[in-house]
Formats: sequence, C-alpha cells, structure tokens
Amino acid sequence: MSNYYEELSQSIISGQLDRVKSLTQQAIGAGDNPVDIINQGLIPGMSVVGARFKSGQMYVPEVLMSARAMDAGMQLVKPLILTEDIPSAGKVVIGTVKGDLHDIGKNLVSMMLESAGYTVINVGVDAGPEKFLQAVKEHQPGVIGMSALLTTTMLAMKDTIELLKEEGLRDKVKVIIGGAPISQDFADEIGADGFAPDAGSAADLCKKLLA
Amino acid sequence: MPVRSNYVENTSPMFRILSPSQCEEILLAAQEVLERTGVTVYDEEARDILKKAGCWVDGILVRIPSAVVNKALRSVPKRVTLCNSRTGSRDVRLEGYNAYFGTGSDTPFTIDPYTGKRQRSTKESVSNACKVIDALENLDFVMSLGIVQDVPLLISDRHQFEAQVLNTSKPIVTTAHDIYGFADIIEMCEIIAGGVEELRRNPFMTLYAEPISPLQHAWEAASKLILAARKGLPVVYTPCVMAGGTVPATMAGVLTQGLAESLSGLVINQSTREGSPFIMGGVFTIMDMSSTIFSYGSPEFNLLMSSLADMAHYLKLPMFGTAGCSDSNLVDEQAGIEAAMSIAMTALSGPNLNHDVGYIEYGSTSSLEFLTINNDVIGMARRLVRGIEVNDETLALDLIHKIGPGGHFLCEDHTMKHFKTETYYPSLIDRQRYESWMENGSKTLFQRANEKVKDIIENYEPDPLPKDVQQKIRAIVERSEQSIAK
Ligand code: B12
Repeated sequence: MSNYYEELSQSIISGQLDRVKSLTQQAIGAGDNPVDIINQGLIPGMSVVGARFKSGQMYVPEVLMSARAMDAGMQLVKPLILTEDIPSAGKVVIGTVKGDLHDIGKNLVSMMLESAGYTVINVGVDAGPEKFLQAVKEHQPGVIGMSALLTTTMLAMKDTIELLKEEGLRDKVKVIIGGAPISQDFADEIGADGFAPDAGSAADLCKKLLA
Repeated sequence: MPVRSNYVENTSPMFRILSPSQCEEILLAAQEVLERTGVTVYDEEARDILKKAGCWVDGILVRIPSAVVNKALRSVPKRVTLCNSRTGSRDVRLEGYNAYFGTGSDTPFTIDPYTGKRQRSTKESVSNACKVIDALENLDFVMSLGIVQDVPLLISDRHQFEAQVLNTSKPIVTTAHDIYGFADIIEMCEIIAGGVEELRRNPFMTLYAEPISPLQHAWEAASKLILAARKGLPVVYTPCVMAGGTVPATMAGVLTQGLAESLSGLVINQSTREGSPFIMGGVFTIMDMSSTIFSYGSPEFNLLMSSLADMAHYLKLPMFGTAGCSDSNLVDEQAGIEAAMSIAMTALSGPNLNHDVGYIEYGSTSSLEFLTINNDVIGMARRLVRGIEVNDETLALDLIHKIGPGGHFLCEDHTMKHFKTETYYPSLIDRQRYESWMENGSKTLFQRANEKVKDIIENYEPDPLPKDVQQKIRAIVERSEQSIAK
C-alpha cells in the first residue's frame, strides 16, 4: 500500500493534471502495482468527483478537468498492464441521430461517461441507423446511446432499434436515448432500454443497465 | 413659455451596456475571427457565392476578409417592416430602438390550460396559442408556441403554418424543416398577400434560420439564407450560443464569436442579393454548468441580450431578441421574476423583434397562462420606457398653486385629462383591496390568467382569411402530404 494514493485522489478531485502525472510517475517508480494505482488512486478520486457533481458541489468544467487529469494518469499506467486488466466500466457507442445536428448535449454525455470510466465511441451527428449498426459490429459495445433534440428526428431512434433487431443484435446491446423532446414514455414506446434527462444521470443509467 | 437654451431632453430612460468604443472593439474582433479562423459552410452553392464575393474558400472552410463584411453591412437595409396579413397594415417597424414582443416557436411540450398537464404540442394547441396571441394587445407578432406533432412529421411545418395563419393576422416568424418546407410556406404567403410582388412589398412573415455554434453554417441554414435573398423576403438568422459550451465563458468572447456567426450569415445573404432584408438574431446565454441547461433566465442572458442590442444599434441592423421566458419548470414565482427582468431590460435596450414570450422549462415547454401574464408585464415595461414628459402642462405649477397645501387633485380637469395616459392599467395584475379580492374568489395571478386564456380560446374569433384563400392553403398542405405518401 502506497502513501501516494490519498494525494493522487485529491489531485484528481482538484483537477491538477501535472500533479497527477508526477504522483503516478512516483508510484510507478516506487514499484507499486499499476492496477492498484488505478483502483486505489485514480478511480476513487473520480468517484468523489462524480458524487460531488451529482450533489451540485462541482460543475461540469471541473469534472472534465478531473477526468483529464485522471486520463493523464491512466496513460502512464496503461503500457504497464495487459489490456484485459485495464479496468473499464464498459464500452458505449454514442451519436446524434439522422437529420439532427444538435451535438453539445451528446458530447457532454460522452465526456461524462468517459469520466465515469466508460470507453466511448462517438459517431458524431446526423448518424443514420446503418452508422450505429456498423459501430456496434465493429466495437461490440455494451450500450448504444442516441441523442435527438427534434421531434422530427426522434423517430429515427426507432429505426436504429429495428435495424438492430433485423440483424439479430438487439439482445447484445442496451439502447439508451436522450434529448429535449425525449421522455420515458417515448423510450418505452420504441422499446429502448432506458432514458436519461441529463449527462450525470446517463452514467448512472449505463451502470444500472450493465450491472 | 420660458426660453430654454441648451436644453437636453430624455423622452425615455437611457440604458446601455456597451459604449460605442466597446462596440467597435467587438466588431473588429468578430471581423478578425472571420478573417483568421473562418467558418465552415456545408452548402456548395453558398461556398460558390462566398468565393465570388471575395472570401477565401478552402474546402468547406471559408475565411471572410473584413472588407467583404463591411460591404454586406453597407448593403443590408437598416430597417424591415412586417405587416398584418389581413389588412396589409405596416404595424411592426423593425428599426432603431423599437421593441416588439412575440412568442417562441417549436417547443416539444405545452401546458394544457384545461388539465394543467404538460403534453406534446399539437395542431390544436398551436391554433389555440395563436388565437390567444392574436387577442393579447401587447403581443405584436407570432411564433407557433409548439411544434405540431399529431400530423405526419416530415411535413408538419406546413400544418404548423396553416394553424398559425388561420388563427392570427399578426406577422409570423416561421420556422421550417428545410427549404422545401419554406418554399411551400412562401407559396401560401404569396396567395394570402395576393402575389409574389405584393408579399415582397408588404411582408407579413419572416423566415428563420440558425447557424451551428461554434462557427458552422449547415446546409439547411445556408440554403435558407440564399432562398430568402432570392425571394427578397426577410430572414432572421440567430446563433444560439452557450457561454462555456459552444462559445467562450467570457461575455465579450460570447459577443465576439456570436457576432462573427451572424455577420458570416449576413455575408451569405447579402452576397446572394444585395439589399435583401436581414434581421440579426442571437440567443446568447450561458450553459448552467450544474444542470447543463441552455439558460433562458439567467442574468447573463439579459446582459448579453442588452449588449447585443447595443451592438445592433451600433451596426444599424434590425435585431431579433429574446425575452419573457424562464428556466422554471412551471409558471411560478421564478418564472415571473425571470420574465419581468428580461422584458424590462429588453424594453429598455430596444432590440426590435423579441421572441420566446411564454416559454418555460428552458425552452422546452410553452404556457399560455405565462404568455398572458407577460402581456401585462410588457404593458408595464412599455410604460417605463415612455419615461417622463417634462413641460409646462406636466409640471402643473398653476394646478399645484391652485390646490395649495391641503386639498386634493381628484376632481380636477387636469387629473381627468392625464391620469389614464400617464398611468398604465394592467388587466391581470391585482390591485384589489383584500376584501374585494376575497369576494372575487381569492384567485392567484395564475388562476386569473388561466380564466382569461380559456375565455379567449372559447370566445375570441380572429379575423378569418377569405374562404377561397383558406382552400388554397389547404391544397398546399395536402399536396405536401401526398408528396411524402409516394
Ligand atoms: C442550442 C440549440 C440549438 C443549436 C445547437 C448547437 C449545437 N452545437 O448543438 C442550434 C442553433 C444549431 C439549433 C438548431 C435547431 N434547433 Co435547436 N435548440 C437549442 C436549444 C436552445 C438548447 C439545446 C442545448 O444544446 N442544450 C444544452 C445541452 C447541454 O443539453 P441537451 O442537448 O438537452 O442535452 C442534455 C440532455 O438532453 C441529455 N441528453 C442529450 N442527448 C442524450 C443522449 C443520451 C443517450 C442520453 C442518455 C442523454 C442525452 O444529456 C445532455 C447533457 O446533460 C434547445 C432548447 C431546449 N430546451 O433544449 C433548442 C431546440 C432543441 N431546437 C429546436 C429547433 C426547432 C431547432 C431547429 C430545427 C430550428 C430551425 N428551424 O432552424 C434547428 C435544427 C437543426 C438541425 N437539423 O438539427 C427546438 C426543438 C423542437 C422539436 N421538438 O423539434 C428546441 C426545443 C427549441 C424550441 N423550443 O423551439 N438549436
């Protein structure tokens, strides 16, 4: 057990990238187990950040700074361990549906998921069902997230779900949706697995679905 | 009459955020953004037009030399007039500091005045909203207050326009899914106006489009700017930017980048046809970094709106503003506070075409009660802006002397002559004494607003369009339905 971990967590919470890097470096130099550095130093810090964001004590840019600091630490540790040992909360493919160009909400969800430990594949805006399908085939995510801010485009979500069914992939992946006109009722109606009203709860939703 | 040399008169309050030097600095900064960083334009035709106008086009990235912006600023009309669709009367003059108020467009939800429930907006809810707007004396123009969702969605914009134009004669700011939607809507308007040329001379509508921040013009947006210019019809071009999200977190950075987006839209529009009517928009606000909403009620939203109005006056461009809206999820004290503040600041700053009156839930839901309450708030703000007239008649020295110490002013001709014009009497704001308020059912402002809304929906008849015109509009809506059925 190294004495770096407490400070490492603190530095993640305060988003100090350089400090996280040097502490991680020191821990590696001291011969700490890389997986421990992640699980006992980096991740606990980020968990505090997540909780503080939810309770309104931290703001989005602060969370993203913490996530960036955490990622810098991860980059140093990663080469030292086998890919399968790298803790990842899971893989998520995310995009804004066809005909829709609203992207800031989707980008926020994507960043918040990353800061919660997910590996996110962002397929961008104006993404048709085929694009989601292709991403599912290529990356085999646990979850796909679709964003729509327009009532005219939200139906495209259903098309993606149908296409996944046709391809026999619907049971392999959880589908979550969000955006201004989306509601839980709509999610139920089109057979999505979940709806989240904002980026913070999107991470909770993924956690619940992948448990 | 005494001699009054060097007399300076304020006929209204003086209110501004930015000085002329600050406006100039921001304008130059926006021009630097356009010259240095540039914008992406996803429409090939627009890129060709920009290239011919002297812009530097590199793939989809277009950089705009300042001289090209200056040329567009010179050719754009300083004023746009919008008319009543039935009478052609030129009611809404977007120029100088004239501030007009109207609603917002495509909320996915609306509060049903009969059940109080938040429901998806429909053709009926939009029709009712337009009736209410038509009936309210302080609302000057219409946006749909809901997106029609109970018709085929691909052509819902045609239905939405039909619902609006049947139920109001006030000018309409109309959205559409794309240029095909706009083409159909323009055709409807030409029929109502009595011809292409008539519509151009007395437009009762303006098109609406938005760039995508940061610094992008999508195909939809650019093609709408071109279509408006070709048709010679006004277009509102409005960046919706969030400080810290899609623009810098600093207010000056917001103004600079937002202005750069508007000015590049202006260049597309003016380079298509010089002299086309163009209305600079801008819903400039913050992203709340806790909830991540696009705020419609923060103080920064008001500050940005007023400073953009200073900018628009500096540039002599008609401006599309935002007021009378709220982040609150219901019509409560918060909604009242936010709307009152934005309406007062807007009225004082004088942007011209101010939309979104009646929005709650950060632009996702509309409420007719809120709209109706704001009708009074606009009346109050208009009174503030009328300021104080100072002259022999209003100083009333003879009268003060006549009444002298003691006595009262109630039975004076002077009082009779002035009290109604000097004082604004709102219709829903309550000033009853406690006992009469109790006797009249001890109703809250919201309850009184709800009653008024229902009364308008049930009893008010907007000026109808001639039967044959109604039929022709119907035919266009049906034609669009058939085109998607194929
Ligand atoms: C900013 C904005 C824009 C910007 C977008 C810029 C950008 N880079 O994204 C611009 C100006 C480009 C724009 C364009 C248009 N817009 Co717009 N826009 C908005 C506005 C004001 C805020 C949206 C926003 O960014 N909010 C902040 C972000 C952070 O929040 P968010 O997007 O809601 O995302 C959060 C949650 O929803 C959730 N979430 C989002 N996606 C997902 C996905 C998953 C999987 C999960 C779990 C959660 C989740 O988490 C996010 C983060 O917390 C809304 C109003 C509103 N109430 O939403 C209108 C709004 C969405 N727009 C609207 C309209 C009509 C349009 C236009 C069609 C207008 C037009 N006629 O030109 C165009 C459409 C262009 C196109 N083809 O897409 C309407 C939608 C009506 C409807 N139901 O169809 C709205 C509601 C405004 C209104 N009341 O009229 N818009």
